[in-house]
Amino acid sequence: MRLEYFQMVDRIIQLDPEARIVRAESTVPDESPVFEGHFPGHPLLPGVLMIETMAQTGGWLVLATLRFSRMPFLAQVKEAKFRGFVTPGQKLEVGARLVQDGSGYAVVTGRIDQAGRKVAEAEIRYGVAPFPNETLRAQMLQMARRVAVPEAYLPEELASGG
Amino acid sequence: MIVPPRWNRGHGYMPSTFETVAGIIAETCDIPREKITPESHAINDLGIDSLDFLDVAFAIDKAFGIKMPLEQWTQEVNEGKVSSDEYFVLGGLCANIDKLVAAKVA
Repeated sequence: MRLEYFQMVDRIIQLDPEARIVRAESTVPDESPVFEGHFPGHPLLPGVLMIETMAQTGGWLVLATLRFSRMPFLAQVKEAKFRGFVTPGQKLEVGARLVQDGSGYAVVTGRIDQAGRKVAEAEIRYGVAPFPNETLRAQMLQMARRVAVPEAYLPEELASGG
Repeated sequence: MIVPPRWNRGHGYMPSTFETVAGIIAETCDIPREKITPESHAINDLGIDSLDFLDVAFAIDKAFGIKMPLEQWTQEVNEGKVSSDEYFVLGGLCANIDKLVAAKVA
């Protein structure tokens, strides 16, 4: 995780659009300016960043399902629960399941586990729209490679080129 | 003679479809059920915004086991090919839902 750059997902470990699931792992950084404020003397990963982590993880599943033809934008978060503190240095496993693949929207349920214990969960809804420009699309494809989205789910023009 | 509204000529809808849709809208958008009629325009009359409509669409897709082609409908309306009444007046919306349900069963 690089909190200041909103890079919440380190690596995809399983992505299966047919089974509608994704799993990823992320390690909370040991140090970050975020912890200076949240909280002094008691550093915790903010709940809003756990939501972002689940939203990004589910977002990769939506992107892969759509073969990067459109972009999911966060529209709604429901029933978010934070069940335990997440502290610097902890390794997280993030999972999401695609509940609904609608026209112009998508819904996932997400969860975060730390050492086998559920620390966060939420239902996340996205508005799904065409990429607003080529810059964003190119960046998302570059990020997809960074987090190891399987080549098979990248757009065909890229997957075939390796 | 009572002339049925344009959306109800030749392609009506099941009353139960309207009841389900009206119930979803009432609950999701916090609109009194009695204000919701088959003639209501979801946006112009009921004031449902795009985020609430996303909720409504999700609930309708789930309730009927369909995938409303919202992107296609929006495009048709934006291009002026179809009046927004066709998809956003609830009677018209319900007729289209029935068509999608029928297509699924067929």
